[in-house]
Amino acid sequence: MSAARQDGRRWFRREVSAARFAFLMNLPTMLCLALVLAYPVIYAGYLSVHRVGLAQLRRGEFPFNGYDNFERLFEDRLFWLALKNTFTFTFITVGAEVVLAVLIALLINQSSIWTSRITRVLILLPYAIPPIANGLIWSFIYSFQFGFLNRILFSAGMISEPINWAGNPETALYAVTVPYIWRTLPFAILLVHAALQGIPRELYEQAAVDGATAWQRFWRITLPLLRPIIAVILILRTSFAFAVFEEILAITQGGPGDATWVAAWYSYKITFSPPNNFGMGSASAYVLALLIGAMALVYVRFVYRRVTL
Amino acid sequence: MTQDVIGKWELSRRRVLGGVAAAAGLGSLGYGSAAMAQAAGPWSQAPRGRVDRLNFVVWTYGDIYSRIAKQFEADWGVKIDSTISSFNDHPTKLATMFAAGEKIDVSQSSPFSFPNFIEQGLVEPIDDLPGAAEYIKDFSSFTKQVATYKGKTMGLPYFAAVWVWNYYGEMLEKLKIDKPFATYEEFIEHCLKAKKDGVSRYPVLWVAGVGLEQLPGTWYQMTWNRGGTFFDNQGNHMLGPGSVARETLKFWANTFEKGLDISDPESLKVQFTTSAKAFGAGKNLYRGPNHHYGLNVANDPAQSPIAGKVKVHGSPGDGKTIGVTHVYFLSSANRNKEWAWKLLQYLGGRTKDGNYTQAVGLAKDAMLGSGYNSVMNSDAVKQGWAPWGDVPAILKMWDKAAYIGEVCSSVYQPWHFPWTDQVNIEVQKTLTGQITADQCCDNLIKGIADAKRKI
Repeated sequence: MSAARQDGRRWFRREVSAARFAFLMNLPTMLCLALVLAYPVIYAGYLSVHRVGLAQLRRGEFPFNGYDNFERLFEDRLFWLALKNTFTFTFITVGAEVVLAVLIALLINQSSIWTSRITRVLILLPYAIPPIANGLIWSFIYSFQFGFLNRILFSAGMISEPINWAGNPETALYAVTVPYIWRTLPFAILLVHAALQGIPRELYEQAAVDGATAWQRFWRITLPLLRPIIAVILILRTSFAFAVFEEILAITQGGPGDATWVAAWYSYKITFSPPNNFGMGSASAYVLALLIGAMALVYVRFVYRRVTL
Repeated sequence: MTQDVIGKWELSRRRVLGGVAAAAGLGSLGYGSAAMAQAAGPWSQAPRGRVDRLNFVVWTYGDIYSRIAKQFEADWGVKIDSTISSFNDHPTKLATMFAAGEKIDVSQSSPFSFPNFIEQGLVEPIDDLPGAAEYIKDFSSFTKQVATYKGKTMGLPYFAAVWVWNYYGEMLEKLKIDKPFATYEEFIEHCLKAKKDGVSRYPVLWVAGVGLEQLPGTWYQMTWNRGGTFFDNQGNHMLGPGSVARETLKFWANTFEKGLDISDPESLKVQFTTSAKAFGAGKNLYRGPNHHYGLNVANDPAQSPIAGKVKVHGSPGDGKTIGVTHVYFLSSANRNKEWAWKLLQYLGGRTKDGNYTQAVGLAKDAMLGSGYNSVMNSDAVKQGWAPWGDVPAILKMWDKAAYIGEVCSSVYQPWHFPWTDQVNIEVQKTLTGQITADQCCDNLIKGIADAKRKI
């Protein structure tokens, strides 16, 4: 008995390998994520191949209907339009965010400029605004006859007639991108700024000694070293932009016509408007999730590079 | 802080008492017939069972729900929980709660969602409940059409409304036009003159925001007024080439930017109340056709700079218009049917004292019509509406109103809701010049089959 106890003590005293330690440390997080994220995802997958309306949800009985929901989804012209709008929205917002984030982060990284410290704080403000409130603020800004934006442009002599930013099908989708970028840009700036601070100063000093211009220093040192963080921003921002909802709800509600129907709005309408087709809504959400996953793989494959100094 | 709470409670209690006193006062003043205040009846008797609390899930309208909940609590000693969302979000909220297995005693519905809710098992019939027969006898024709489904009575009326036009009297005078339009041609003439004279850049504000009866209602009303419908008695669509609905849409689309450019671009965003508020800015000549009670916003000095100058106007020709009734219903997810019925009556029927407290209050406070004949014929409407508009004129329009289901009979079908989504999209595309009215109607004809497959 005492030998067995001693063996046990020895096992505890034995040094745990790094891999096993990492696994143990990750285990609680993995369990939490499995519970909070994996379960709903798997359940949505289950719903997507069943006939699920309000009555079925209430009873808890879902008749299996194979790929019927997906077939109906792919036959729906509105679904494809919503996907097209989502891609356009994502391309514009993510592209603009990456470029602006790098530019602004470079600016506020200048420790010699004292105002950059104030800017660093102020830049966080939009991120603190709830998305739905942000949408409402911008819907007032865009208001056709009484909006702030038209008033400024009119006062500055830039327009003679008010512009129907959110009510014109040709401008509505672009109009919704601006509030979204405004709200989410600080997150990207923070990440780039943090990455910039991790770049050793010596690299720039050596480059300066070698006669490199500012542009060459940016192109040859800064940008390559920012690639991993840019990949992270691309993955995160793409997945969030793909699921944009609040600004659409608050500003355009998909209109005018179908000009701003995006994938998340489509899933919401299919699921939560009568006749409450939860099965088809889950199917559309699943397609969206698969697309986001595919985009993430593309980014990792083509943008992410291991950085070696 | 405690003082604040007490202060608020005192205020609420005073309001409840005030409401009860007002209702009693209305009764004693002869506000309506005997049907309006029958103290002795099933509504005054307590249900046999016992519940700790009840709840209702409704869309927001002022503070009517907090008032009626307080009155219920005071009368029966049962706590009322309320879940209140916006009109457009209400079906979502209700569906989510129902799907999640939550208790819901009473809820409400527009006529457009109602068949869907019934088909999905959310609604219980009320025919056999004590006092129901008396309510049914007092139902207006609109209410009967909404509340009856497959021969069963499924709800009590919340409010009723008819579609009317509004005009800005002072602007009309400035244009030296002695009376509002009598034909659609005259309507266009007035608008063009207002634009040409620089009196109004966008003379007409429509209610063309996305919704179940906002944008669709405008189209339904003008089509009906011109003698058309959307479906015939056999349920066949009436949207083909040359149809009244199609020609009406052509007329409507022509008033927007790519046509005569007399329509306010805000039309595509506004709902009923927001359009009344926007009209109150005094920048448009005409607003319409939409719910009559917008007058209580446009003519409210607290909300409108042109209060008192907004007039009501009937539709051209014989003045045919449309009307609607929204309903409260007994949820199948109730915790106690008898008590839920009691609460349902407080919202859509009589309170313990036998008065139609809620219906009378809505008429006085919000200019809403009632789904009960006795309330519509009472002084509650005649005197209650008077501060905001020409009551005899509105009641004359009321007499010429047909229930919306006669114009668009698909409202009785569960597929009407998804089809309306498409109506909103296609018509907005037409009004913004992306497609023609012909393409719109062709798409909507195809969309009927798609909508049927979605349910």
